[in-house]
Amino acid sequence: MDITILGQQLLGYIPLGDIVLYLAPLNLFMFASTLAFTTIIAISKTETQVEAGFGTLKDREVKVDKSEFKIRRFLAIVCGLATAGAMITGDLFNFTLFVCLIGIVNIGIVAAVKQVDVLDAAFQYGLVAMIATLPLFGGAAMILASTGTISLLEIVDLPTTFMMVFGSLLLFIGVAGETGVAPFYATKAEMFRTPGSPFLLIIHLSSLLVIVRVIEILLIINKPF
Amino acid sequence: MSASVLVPGVVSPVVVSLFVPAIFTGLIVGIIGLMAIAYQKNDLNALILTDIVGVGMLILVAAVGTDLAEAIILPGLVVELAEILAISEILMSREMKKKGKNAELIPLPLSMDMEIMTTAPTFLALILIVHGAFLSGFTGGAVAGGGILFYVLSKRMRGVPANTWEGIAGVSGIAWCLWLVGFLVFFVFPQYWLLALFLAAFGIFIKVAFKAGLIGVIGREEFSKK
Repeated sequence: MDITILGQQLLGYIPLGDIVLYLAPLNLFMFASTLAFTTIIAISKTETQVEAGFGTLKDREVKVDKSEFKIRRFLAIVCGLATAGAMITGDLFNFTLFVCLIGIVNIGIVAAVKQVDVLDAAFQYGLVAMIATLPLFGGAAMILASTGTISLLEIVDLPTTFMMVFGSLLLFIGVAGETGVAPFYATKAEMFRTPGSPFLLIIHLSSLLVIVRVIEILLIINKPF
Repeated sequence: MSASVLVPGVVSPVVVSLFVPAIFTGLIVGIIGLMAIAYQKNDLNALILTDIVGVGMLILVAAVGTDLAEAIILPGLVVELAEILAISEILMSREMKKKGKNAELIPLPLSMDMEIMTTAPTFLALILIVHGAFLSGFTGGAVAGGGILFYVLSKRMRGVPANTWEGIAGVSGIAWCLWLVGFLVFFVFPQYWLLALFLAAFGIFIKVAFKAGLIGVIGREEFSKK
């Protein structure tokens, strides 16, 4: 099977020494949209939430002060760049590292908020993300052990073995925990309940795009078709 | 199961047979960590126990046992440390918000009032430095630097002569030059490779040892400010 799945065309390679990036329409589209969104975030201002007060007609504004805003914008840009890197990399281990970076930066974006509930949710999410490094790196290491390479362009030519299937399952569990999707989403939903909307949205976008990309990688490794 | 792993013929079968037990060890360590977290109600303890799961991850990566695995175990370690730092920062800021108080990142001066600090530092530091000298290179430098750091930290009550330590900081710079010269000799006069190897190995040994020792000196200066 070719590296291009889902009826794509291979547009070209970028060989950077050991690290070879490959360009296909799906990856390029996700890469470009991440970069575009990151640019929008970099030039946007943060929102102000208005909380309704109970038993009174007064509303309360929840604002983000300037130092917190700067840190949050910087971390959101790092998160966007890490997501863009995870979209286009052709190296399994670089992919896991980008996913881990996304996890750490997600914690950092909400680390400076003032709401105790949000900090509590971020702490729980951080514990899950840290536990998820075991299947994430373990899966990548198992694929490395069973194929002898971490380059997706090489793995695609090798026949699938039991260890590769097991390793890619672990990898998927790791990505799910690190980005906080299906079984682990409860804490992540709580993390959004804080002002500073455009920066918080990168948390959501990164997990969506990483899931699409990890499915592509699993198809490349396991070759079900 | 190990038959499904592609292994070059030069690797001895003993090493190959260690792979599957190592994988199981890593997974079992992770499961033990998860069980401990499940029983734990205290947040701080849960955070510390999460580190055990991270150790399981390192075992899984180390099980591969090739040069590439050695190269990727370092990013794994760094990621784990970064995550534990980020989460502990969250925990601290949450507790500060709850109590309405602020605290320093590293509360100085530390109170380390242990008997071993007064009776054993010379002996232990000597053993660490000699062991580091035998190891040489970066690892040896770290071991010997640990010895110097330990010595300075434990002797700071009695007062270490400041001039001596400042002189040592200069030696660190000169040793770095030795390391660079060693590398230059490698490229210019490859026939003297043994000399170059020893220059580089002991240059970096002295440099790293004194750099790590300097942490102790700076720490001591911080203490004396108080």
